[in-house]
Amino acid sequence: MNKISKRSKILYALVFAFVFGVCFLSVTLISNAETWALKRVNQHIYDKGQLISAGTIYDRNGVVLAQTVDGKRIFNENKTIRCATLHTVGDLSGFIATGAHTAFKSQLTGYSLINGVYNIERDGEDKNLHLTIDANLCADAYNALGKNNGTIGVYNYKTGEILCMVSKPTFDINNKPSDIDTDSTGKYNGIYLNRFLSGVFTPGSTFKIVTAACAIENITDIDSRTFTCTGSYKTSTGVVRCNGVHGTLNFEKALNRSCNSAFAQMAEELGNEKLTATAEELGFNKRIQVNGINVTKSYFDLTGAVSVDRGWAGIGQYKTLANPCHMVTLMGAIASNGTAPAPHILETNSSLFSLGSSTLRYLDMTTAIKLSDMLRSNVKNYYGDHKFPNLEMCGKTGTAEVAGKEPHTWFVGFSKRPDTPIAIVVLLENSGGTGIGNAVPIANKVMQSAAGLA
Amino acid sequence: MTGAKWLPTLMLITVFQVISAGQVVFTENGISQRSAAVFGTYIAIEWVYAIVSSIIRKKASPALEFVAFFLTGIGLVIVASVNENLLVTQFVAFVLGFVCFLFLLWLISSMDRAMFMRTPMAIAAIGLLIITLLLAKNINGAYNWISIGSFSFQPSELVKIAFIFVGAAALEKLQSTRSLTKYIVFAVMCIALLFLMRDLGTALIFFFTFLILAFMRSGDIRTLILVCVAAAMGAALIVLVKSDYVIRRFSIYRHIWENMDGSGYQQTRVLIYSVSGGLFGVGIGNGKLKNIFAATEDLVFGVLCEEWGIIMGIIVILCFAFIATHSIKCAVGCRYAFYTIAAVAAGGLLLFQASLNVFGVTDLLPMTGVTLPFISRGGSSAISCWALIAFIKAADNRTWLGSRYHTEVAE
Repeated sequence: MNKISKRSKILYALVFAFVFGVCFLSVTLISNAETWALKRVNQHIYDKGQLISAGTIYDRNGVVLAQTVDGKRIFNENKTIRCATLHTVGDLSGFIATGAHTAFKSQLTGYSLINGVYNIERDGEDKNLHLTIDANLCADAYNALGKNNGTIGVYNYKTGEILCMVSKPTFDINNKPSDIDTDSTGKYNGIYLNRFLSGVFTPGSTFKIVTAACAIENITDIDSRTFTCTGSYKTSTGVVRCNGVHGTLNFEKALNRSCNSAFAQMAEELGNEKLTATAEELGFNKRIQVNGINVTKSYFDLTGAVSVDRGWAGIGQYKTLANPCHMVTLMGAIASNGTAPAPHILETNSSLFSLGSSTLRYLDMTTAIKLSDMLRSNVKNYYGDHKFPNLEMCGKTGTAEVAGKEPHTWFVGFSKRPDTPIAIVVLLENSGGTGIGNAVPIANKVMQSAAGLA
Repeated sequence: MTGAKWLPTLMLITVFQVISAGQVVFTENGISQRSAAVFGTYIAIEWVYAIVSSIIRKKASPALEFVAFFLTGIGLVIVASVNENLLVTQFVAFVLGFVCFLFLLWLISSMDRAMFMRTPMAIAAIGLLIITLLLAKNINGAYNWISIGSFSFQPSELVKIAFIFVGAAALEKLQSTRSLTKYIVFAVMCIALLFLMRDLGTALIFFFTFLILAFMRSGDIRTLILVCVAAAMGAALIVLVKSDYVIRRFSIYRHIWENMDGSGYQQTRVLIYSVSGGLFGVGIGNGKLKNIFAATEDLVFGVLCEEWGIIMGIIVILCFAFIATHSIKCAVGCRYAFYTIAAVAAGGLLLFQASLNVFGVTDLLPMTGVTLPFISRGGSSAISCWALIAFIKAADNRTWLGSRYHTEVAE
């Protein structure tokens, strides 16, 4: 073998580089397969940006929410159910990012790396989605909302199933308003947003639960304390107004009456660090997921806050924002000794997903039991059990001031009865009025329907 | 007798071809007689060649030609599945290429003939490129096609053959620095003309082939690095001057998803549809990528992955690694500089072109718009690919028949 022949082996360098490139290409294709295949321009899956074919989406009782018949996507025949489940089921063009049609499109379309899009136009149980929501309960919640915008979420705190999530404004997917994308009056603002999963709102007095938790954990004699309310609480840097003149109150009464003066005073005593620590333990600034769908984080930040800011933060104003889904899981945790099962909307046996932790840990047991008793006291001694007949309801209302607009009104709570382990959040966006006046009756309507199902 | 070793391999290839061709022959509208005739003839050519060559050269392995037949067969089925009207043209191009392969094998089996041909070849190559530059119309941003009536071809493909032929022949004589200088002038002219045609991909292929030829001759890596640096600086200068076209092409590299419907259109579609097929493909003719411009040419790897499956796509591109390793084996076993150099250059060229194509359309390298050898539709390309493997085959033949010509070509 001569010199020149030996030099031929230089070509092995290229072969080696090539084989390396092929390996790299294979890894790239495999790891990005799902993302790329499900791009909206893929004509195997989409026709003019709309899903061609997908499995059937059922509610917990087997009610069909969406299915493909002869190559066309058909939604539930009941208009109220269509409007109530719009954000859960999602649209076909992907505007509603957390809707099942978008969030679970790989399961719905049957795409897999091995078979590619082969299953797209074939039927099969494995392509179907079984949701944990109850379509009729959603319809009831939708009706209960009436003219209000906002959201209602119902969650089983023993199983983690989301039984209902309704978000308004909404529209009928079969008659999508033609001016929806061109409107400038703002009536469709955030119409594609599922407020339960993706909305954040000033929590107002519902945040007093967090301040109370912080007080229970950090002020050892909190139960023997008394607070005096003169209609406002003065700090060195400003005044926190109260919703009334409550006189002298103990800790429990202060939460019953939702006394701003008392809670601003507690916040002042606790300080930025402890309040922040408790808020974060209770899930603020933390990510939770619903079957892999990222829920928007609740927001709490006291960086650089002076005493008056802290006072307002302690009663759920200042920069604080709460996500309804997070709030309802927090209710679940208070109801069940401090931990709550991760919320999910896919029935576990139909789901390929088990993303995220399966349990949310918010509180230690003694704090949870104490809070639970105080929330029970709110309903029993202040709102009145007649507002929630037969439910052993626990809860907290909120009226959140919003700059330049009507306040949001809230109710968060849960039933203590062991046979109805259900937590609820009601948020009425810029509804005006008060939590007791507006949110409580709506919450009761939905809870009564939900209790009937449990 | 060892001659029958090739039989099971060819039978497997034939079964594969019958099944895949069946998908385009048996259509919803009945049997396509035209396709049936083309694929029948194609398989017959394969078998006649295998039998005849096993009789003439008992020891030489036909593995290389089998791979070429395998790849060409896939290319023909893809052409038929996308547009059956183009099948006959593509088949005729293959036949021409196959004839070129046999002719070139005969031509270079004698060193005297090869040496005699090198100057005319060089002149013809340069002449062809100049004519192209003068006559060509702008097609997709490049000026590299010549059309005569309804017949059009890409001269740079044919010049590839001359480039290696002239290179190997010029470098055969160790002492002659004059022939080396002449060759460098020839190579630089070829690459410069391709640059002027804006056929960047082919210019890159020629440059790479030139590097292989230079290394085979000198054995000096440092000189090659120097050449590369000089070329990179030259290229940078050209990019600065002719910025619009080149920069547009390269700025999209690794940013295709931000420009899905603009300049990243082709690459994103290749990736989307490649993974759509999954491991086993959506079936021949059932793809969507075929509706996109240049699907059977530059983007054919995507069609292959989508319709035949990612596994098939990987097998096919690994065939090019096989061709290159095979060419090394033939070159190492062969004691004649001309055949060694030509075989390595041809094997390297094919593998390099396949890399540019496959990694270009998948955005692992900048897209340069070159075709996938043997598989992409294109007459000139089919001819040049088949002609190029003649260089590898010739080295193989030399290994087995070397003694017979030994005195004839002794230095």
